[in-house]
This record gives sequence, C-alpha cells and structure tokens, in this order.
Amino acid sequence: MSQAQLFDLGYREYDGARHRPALAILTLALFTAKRVLGLGRGARHKVLPAITLAVAFLPALVSVVVSVVTDNLLEEDLISYGEYTFFIGSALVLFAALVAPEALCPDRRSGMLGLYLAGPLDRTRYLAGKALAVFGVMTLITVSPLLFMLLAFVLAGYAPGAGESVELLLEIVASGLATALLYASLSLAVSSFTTRRAAAAVATVLLFTVPVTVARTAIDSADAPNELDLMSFGFVASELSYRIFGETPEEADEPISQLSTELVAGGLLAASVAALFVCWLRYRRIEAFR
Amino acid sequence: MSAVPDSEPAFERVISARDVTKRYGRTVALAGLTADIGPGITGLLGSNGAGKTTFMSIVLGLRTRDAGELTVLGHDPATAGIEIRSRIGYAPEHHDLPAELSASDFVRHLAEMHLLPGRAAMQRANEALWLVGLGEERFRPVGTMSTGQRQRVKLASAIAHDPELVLLDEPTDGLDPLQRTTMLDLIRRIGTEFGLHIVVSSHHLEEVERICDAVVIVEGGVVVRAGAMADVRQGPEGLVVEVDDRVEELAALLREHGLEVVVDGSRLLLGADEGVHDAVRDAVAELGLGLRRLEPRGRTLEDVYMGAGS
Repeated sequence: MSQAQLFDLGYREYDGARHRPALAILTLALFTAKRVLGLGRGARHKVLPAITLAVAFLPALVSVVVSVVTDNLLEEDLISYGEYTFFIGSALVLFAALVAPEALCPDRRSGMLGLYLAGPLDRTRYLAGKALAVFGVMTLITVSPLLFMLLAFVLAGYAPGAGESVELLLEIVASGLATALLYASLSLAVSSFTTRRAAAAVATVLLFTVPVTVARTAIDSADAPNELDLMSFGFVASELSYRIFGETPEEADEPISQLSTELVAGGLLAASVAALFVCWLRYRRIEAFR
Repeated sequence: MSAVPDSEPAFERVISARDVTKRYGRTVALAGLTADIGPGITGLLGSNGAGKTTFMSIVLGLRTRDAGELTVLGHDPATAGIEIRSRIGYAPEHHDLPAELSASDFVRHLAEMHLLPGRAAMQRANEALWLVGLGEERFRPVGTMSTGQRQRVKLASAIAHDPELVLLDEPTDGLDPLQRTTMLDLIRRIGTEFGLHIVVSSHHLEEVERICDAVVIVEGGVVVRAGAMADVRQGPEGLVVEVDDRVEELAALLREHGLEVVVDGSRLLLGADEGVHDAVRDAVAELGLGLRRLEPRGRTLEDVYMGAGS
C-alpha cells in the first residue's frame, strides 16, 4: 500500500480552533512591537531602534566593564540605578519619538486602521493593543539596561545580599514601568494628531523639551510655583526614579526636587492618564472607513 | 425590497435592513434603505455616492445608523459588532496596503487578527494566496505589486479566516479588462465552490450581471430595485429571435402571420402570441435562414437600472 499522503489540500473550510476576541489585542500588540523594532523588516528599519537601544545600554555596559576590568566597584564613579533614567533622558525621548509614531501613524495613512476595525476590534481595543505595544517596547529601554546592570553585578560578585538584590529588582521594575508609562502615553497622544511619522516624532521631542523650558523660565523669572515643574515631563520621570531608589539627585535644588513624592508620582500618573484619554478621544473621531 | 428568492426561509437572510437611515450633517446618505440579502453572491449596485459604502460600513458596525433596523448574520451590528466582524471578511476599495509587508505576512496577520491561531493563520494565508493566483508571488512585498495583484491580496485577506460573509467594495476597481475578467471569475468561484456569502459593491452593471445571483440597486440612499437576478431581469413575455441574415424579410413574413414584431438590430422581438414558436420555425425554414438565437424575452440589468433610475 502506498505511504503517500496529501498535504496540500488547497483552500477549504476551516473548522479548527479560534481565539477569543480579546486575544486580538495581544496579537496586534505583538505585531506592532515587532514592526517598530524593525523585526521582519529591512535593515534600514532596524538601524534607529538598534542605535537608540545601544545608547541606552551603553552607560550600563561601561559601568559593568569598568567594574570587572578594574576588579573594583567604585560606586561614586559609576552611574547609580536612580540616576540612570536622568542619564539616558535623551535616548528615552528619541526612542519614544521613534516608537509611538511608527505604531500609530502608518495605520491611518495606509488604511490599515479601517481593516483592523473591520475585524474583531473596536477603537478602544485597537488603542489598547497599540498602547500595550508602545509601553512594552519602551520598557526595553527603561527596564532592560538596569536589569542587565544588576544581573552583571550579581554575576561579578559585586551585588548586595539576596534580600537587597530582590528589593533592587522591584525598584528597577517599578521605576522602569513608571517611566515607560509616561513616555509611551505622551508620545501616543501626540501621534494621534497626525498621520505623518516625522511630524509626530518632532512633536514628541518638542513635548519633552519646550514645556520644561517654559516651566523653569516661569519659576525662575516670574516666581511661579514649583508645581509648574510637573510640566517638565522628563524630569518628573527621572525625579520619581531617584525617589524609588531612595537616592538624591546631584542638583537637588531643582524645582521638581522640592515637591513631595506623592505629588511627583501623582503628576506622572495624571499626565499619563490624561494623555491616554486624549488619544482615545482622538480615535473616537477619526474617520477610519473609506 | 428583497434580494432573497421567495423560496428562501427568513432565517437564511444574511443581511436584513428595514428603513435604515444615516445622515452626515445635512447630507442624507441612507434614506430609509430596506433590503434583504440572502445566501450566494449579491451585487450592491449603484452610482458613486449612492450609499453603498455607507451601507457596508453600517453592516460592519463601523458606523451607527440614525434609525431603522438591521441584522447581519442574525445579529444587530450596533450591539454585536465584534461578534459579527469576526465572521465577516472585508476587502476595502482603496489599495493602500502596508508596502513593506509581504503578501503572505499581510494576509496571515489579518487572519490572526480574525482570531485564527498563528500556525493555522499562516497555512490559511498561503492557501488563500494560492487560490487567488498569487502562490508564487506570496513572499513579495505588497508595495511592489500591481493594482491587480493588490486586489487579489485583498480578496485573499478577506477569505483567509473562512468567514461566513464576505464584503467586497469595488473589487475590480483599477483593473484592466483581462484582470477584471479573472477577478470576476475568482469571486464567482469563491461564492459557488466554497459556499461563502458574498456582497459585491460595484457601479459596473455588467459585472454584477455576470457573477451575482441577486442584486440590490441603490440610488439616493434607497433601494430602487432588488431581487434574484432572474426576477429582476424578468421582462415582457415573448421571444427574442436572432438570425444570421435578412432580418427585415423574416420580420415581414412573421407580420404576415399576424405577429407583432419589433426589429432591434439583428434581433427580432416578438410578443407572446399563441403559436409564435411554430410561426418562427416555419418562417425561418421557409426563408432558409440560419437561426442564431431563440430565447424568451428578458431585460438586461442595464434596462432594469435605467428604468429604476428614471
């Protein structure tokens, strides 16, 4: 008897398993995350994410290498966990300006948004998938370098005791998630206003640079209250990082440093929620079907 | 109006709309559209701006209707949009697809978005692309494909997840005559061979006439005519006769037998008089003519469309 089997039956009815509709959010998030990182795309799409990630990892790498090569951990000469967010502030802004516009803008420009919404997604679920993707990718830059640093120090024998290491791990995760939330939500809100990636990227950079200038000028020149420094979004994230790790910034006289931890954390959360709400409002009005 | 043959029971109606109204500000897009769309391939026919795309978007639950009742696959899209859309395949009119994605990745991704597991989605995407004739081209980026190929990619993405209902918005837009013929044959095959219910939006009469089992003609946001294609084209009773030569001689001979005859180019249009078939047979034999066509009189969809619009 022949052992031949027919594998290619051609197009036919599908009676296999199907996922629950909610899983479409995760599918969209994974697909978007891969695209913004350039995975499965040409080399030119990988260059910018790779460079930005490399820049973000560089301080951690240098710290580890210096410590291992000199066989000495000189804490005062190395970047601390708390100041890492401040140190890679520019890379964070650039990464956010790269990721969110790439996640949102092409779908509206190419008509993919209509195709997504013609499937088992509504606008809220679509945005949830996109936000999850941008947030997840942002954690690559806010959490991974610090995790790498902690792991390397543990392996090199420079880490504190097990208990302290676990505490440090939790602080790394908390600080990284908070920073990722702020950068992801603000860049998503900006990207919801245009179909052009370049415009969204520039606007994102401006959002992290112009308000801080305005706020600090107003505080320095017009005696505006220190609370105005909550508009300095990058500093809000780095200040919260310092406090999560129980550290004090070198320049502790900055307006943001005068605010209570509750206010800084509340400001970060409020800005994030407000940005996501703006994004949601924008997508309620966007014409997706053409 | 109903595009469902009378013999079809109500539960087999794929789409049922009653007085569906949609306004955009002061513009009335749908002005009480009423139609039943049954199984098989149905043409949604109308000029640009007639309300076809608006109706499709309401069927998908992407726009809300202002008034009226609508059920799609037994559900109201206003309240069960996600449930309905997971069972629908949709190919939009526009050709703007992600340029860098390969056809295979694009179709697979949309199949996954329609809740197929990863491996099944990949297999179905390949099968669908082979079906539409892009098997060899499936790893090419969509951005490098011609309009005809993109139309087929859209068709593949609409059927890959094995939907119950497929909505195709102007699927032959931008195609040359040969590509158009191929696409129409493909749609017909998908509708008949695989049993998918298909609604094709078009403003090309001959396309709808060629592949559809039923038609809904929309103008000014209302249905002006709907029904099974054979019913819609039902015209005055009688015969159409076409001979290879000497049409006027044949007409004169038939008139001598007391028949009403209208000469229409190379065709003769006759009434349903008693004995008309025998009279035609005898007259053709008497004159020694070659008989090219002898069939019951009917109307083309163009006749119906022009009549409905007037």
